[in-house]
Amino acid sequence: MESKKKASAHKTDWFFGLNGTATFFVSLVLILVVCYINNTIKNAVPTYFQHVIVNCLLNAVLALGLNFISGYLGQTSLGHAVFFGIGAYTTACLLKYTGLNFWVSIPVGMIAAALAAVPLALSSLRVKGQFLIVITYAFCEIFRYICINTPALGGNGGLAGIQSPLVFGTKITKIAATNKGGYMILLFLMVSAVSYFTWRVERSRTGYAFHAIREDEIAARAMGINIKYFKVLAMMISATICAMAGSVQAAFATMVSPELFSSAKSIQILTFVVIGGRMSIKGVILGAALLTILPEFLHSIKDMFSMSFDPWTILYGILLVVMMRVRPQGFWGKKDVEAEEEEA
Amino acid sequence: MVDFLQQVINGLAQGGIYSLIAIGWTTVFGIVGIINWTHGEIYMLGAYAGWLITTYAHLPIIPSLLLSMVLGAFIAMAVDEIGYRPLRKKGVLAATGFITALGLSQTIRYSASAGFSPNPKAYPVLVNQELITLVSIGDKKITISSVHLIVLFSAVVIMSLLELFMKKTLTGKAMLAASQDMQTLRLMGVNAESLIKITFAISGALGAAAGFFIGMLYYINPMMGALAGLKGWSCAILGGIGSIAGSLVGGIILGIVENLTAGYISTGYKDAIGFMVMILVLLIRPSGLMGYRFEEKV
Repeated sequence: MESKKKASAHKTDWFFGLNGTATFFVSLVLILVVCYINNTIKNAVPTYFQHVIVNCLLNAVLALGLNFISGYLGQTSLGHAVFFGIGAYTTACLLKYTGLNFWVSIPVGMIAAALAAVPLALSSLRVKGQFLIVITYAFCEIFRYICINTPALGGNGGLAGIQSPLVFGTKITKIAATNKGGYMILLFLMVSAVSYFTWRVERSRTGYAFHAIREDEIAARAMGINIKYFKVLAMMISATICAMAGSVQAAFATMVSPELFSSAKSIQILTFVVIGGRMSIKGVILGAALLTILPEFLHSIKDMFSMSFDPWTILYGILLVVMMRVRPQGFWGKKDVEAEEEEA
Repeated sequence: MVDFLQQVINGLAQGGIYSLIAIGWTTVFGIVGIINWTHGEIYMLGAYAGWLITTYAHLPIIPSLLLSMVLGAFIAMAVDEIGYRPLRKKGVLAATGFITALGLSQTIRYSASAGFSPNPKAYPVLVNQELITLVSIGDKKITISSVHLIVLFSAVVIMSLLELFMKKTLTGKAMLAASQDMQTLRLMGVNAESLIKITFAISGALGAAAGFFIGMLYYINPMMGALAGLKGWSCAILGGIGSIAGSLVGGIILGIVENLTAGYISTGYKDAIGFMVMILVLLIRPSGLMGYRFEEKV
């Protein structure tokens, strides 16, 4: 399992002499082999592990999405669960009320999230730094309350009973022996596509504009970069990527609930990026994987010693504090942050 | 009309508590320049300190309030010592302070949850609950509960004392100066570190007092810090960062607006209204109702 994740991450940073395409194919073969073994030998890969893998990939998409805002644009956002939730709720509502195809609902969710991103992006033009963080937080909370209080959106309980999507007439859950295989492949392709997209943006005119805005907004403006355009663009890209993950989440869990909008989720997405390493595609994917596997591991410790509380929730905070002290740029991050500070 | 006034009166005590939290936020923000995300957690711990003191030591209201304020002050100073001071020394507080605060608040919240159990706790009865009639119009009466009255009164007293401290003592004046320009103050020979510690102590004491008061009104639980902290921050923004009177006004307005929302629109949106107010104020008039125009801190 681990090797698959690592491979997909190396794709972008070209480790072990492999180039992007080669890494992609290696990891694709790996994931297909896993699915094949799973189909032929019963219980070769426990369902629980498959569930964790799907979550890792899902979180990787979210982390890649936030990376545009918190990485390239250098704004901390504590409300990215809002786009995740909008994607999930759009898919859920479309599937439930209009009976639309799942694949059509993904772009609709992406558009909805992109529209929701506009006010947030515009407020980032007026308000900066820590005040922006509270705005993003409050924005997400407001959506949560709207979902809780709207009966059509299912209220506190959310919407349940979302049908699993069809691939060429076959249910995605029926592709592999266990119902997770199809999602594994789908999400893997999604992570690859988003990584490739990120990698291309990073080296494009747009990417350089983001970089300039992050380093010095006033200087960037003086160079003739349209700050408003690029800030809105970054927020929209970020929102659409997160909404994509949300749509898959809705289908995978077969339900949506207001918990998707919880601040805990937003904080989780932010920590994937911060712990993994801002602006590093490999870093954020590995950060998401690490912070998905580690809590599961600690859950088992909790069960083993039959503790009354979850040790992960406490360790999580300590990890953040220590990380900021020892390695503020994240595990796989570039030394960018420190260098910036020394200059300042 | 009578119902409306009654709703307004009901919101006052809650508003007073919000104001106390708000001042805790803004004092630290003014001087250290970061949003102290752990403030909600200090408020929660203050409530638990009060609960321990009143339940197990059976102290009367004033000594237990003072004791929990002292404890809150120490907790806040410990947070600064463990979390922010090392970063300040390295000069990376602006970039890493927020994540550190986030981590600390997570740790404190869930440690408290592990230690005190997530079940809600109630304070013993400290003041006899009775309804005091303020005015009677016809056969309808506008009443205020004695507990609410005491909470509101104490909150205003604490804030007035703080205002006096800021205006009359040298330390208070130094704090005001520090919120304007820390660099120059250092050149004037003020010990910045001890000033920051005092700021955290005051902030912690106010947070703990707010927690104590909330314990007198409602059940307390380890998760209550997050929402209350954010609401305190919205009050601070509404009233204007750095202004004690502004925080008082902001807090009372939010308390009343929340109660009116619950009464006339929907109880479900009661908690959301504070966030909407905060976003609107930040976008339309970032200096708040009574604050001075602050310099961009990040």
